[in-house]
Amino acid sequence: MLFETGRLCLKTAGREAGGLCVVLDKVDNDFVLVTGPRVLSGVKKRKCNIAHLEPLSVKLKMKSDAGDEDILEMLKKETELLKKLNLTIPSEADIKKWESQRTEKDKAKAEKAKIEQTKKEEDKKKAVGLSELASEKKSLEKEKKPVSLSDLASETRKLEEVRKKKESKPKEIKK
Amino acid sequence: MVRRALRSSRLKKIKRVAPSGKTVTHYERRRPGRALCSTCKGLLAGVPRLRQAKLHKLSKSKYRPKRTYGGVLCPSCLKHQLRNKAIGL
Repeated sequence: MLFETGRLCLKTAGREAGGLCVVLDKVDNDFVLVTGPRVLSGVKKRKCNIAHLEPLSVKLKMKSDAGDEDILEMLKKETELLKKLNLTIPSEADIKKWESQRTEKDKAKAEKAKIEQTKKEEDKKKAVGLSELASEKKSLEKEKKPVSLSDLASETRKLEEVRKKKESKPKEIKK
Repeated sequence: MVRRALRSSRLKKIKRVAPSGKTVTHYERRRPGRALCSTCKGLLAGVPRLRQAKLHKLSKSKYRPKRTYGGVLCPSCLKHQLRNKAIGL
């Protein structure tokens, strides 16, 4: 197997093309989990297609659960490779600065995503409210029950009583 | 005849209606062709057909793809070059 944990590769396609990455774990026959680490080469921790990777001759001895700090310590020994790629391993102070800048950007993105979600929910509620009104109208029209003979008879009796009362009262002559 | 500067084929003639109602010819510069890959001369995607002055007034993400050698090399030529680079490492 070529693409095993610890194998160094170059990405050949996508936004991160030309970036150095380390294989962490196997996902599928076609996909592999990969990291940069991001502080070094800009490659995020995500799965990648094997067809978009070019393997190098270097392989690190590591486990699939290794963190970024452990990987950076192991990469310090490969000085020739880093020289050819013009990469320098950052110090702890540089990493902290980079993380603080990253958190500000991620916070701004999260706020934008929240605002968009609230807008979508409000639009959905409006659409649901209008649909409910339309359904209520339809249900009221359907609930018109058929009239029975007994109901008709009772209504006619009431009307006759009212008519008799009106006829019994004499009309007032207007002067 | 029209004045000499307007007689070239680099200019495009467009007919427009003036507020008075007359039709009048206006002159515009023609659009440039599509961008090509520097190695294989294939068509490049993501580069709009605009003159240099207008192209560089756009933001960077709108006039080229966000990839190394974006707007210069096509993705297949990029892969070839990166594979040759990896063999040399």
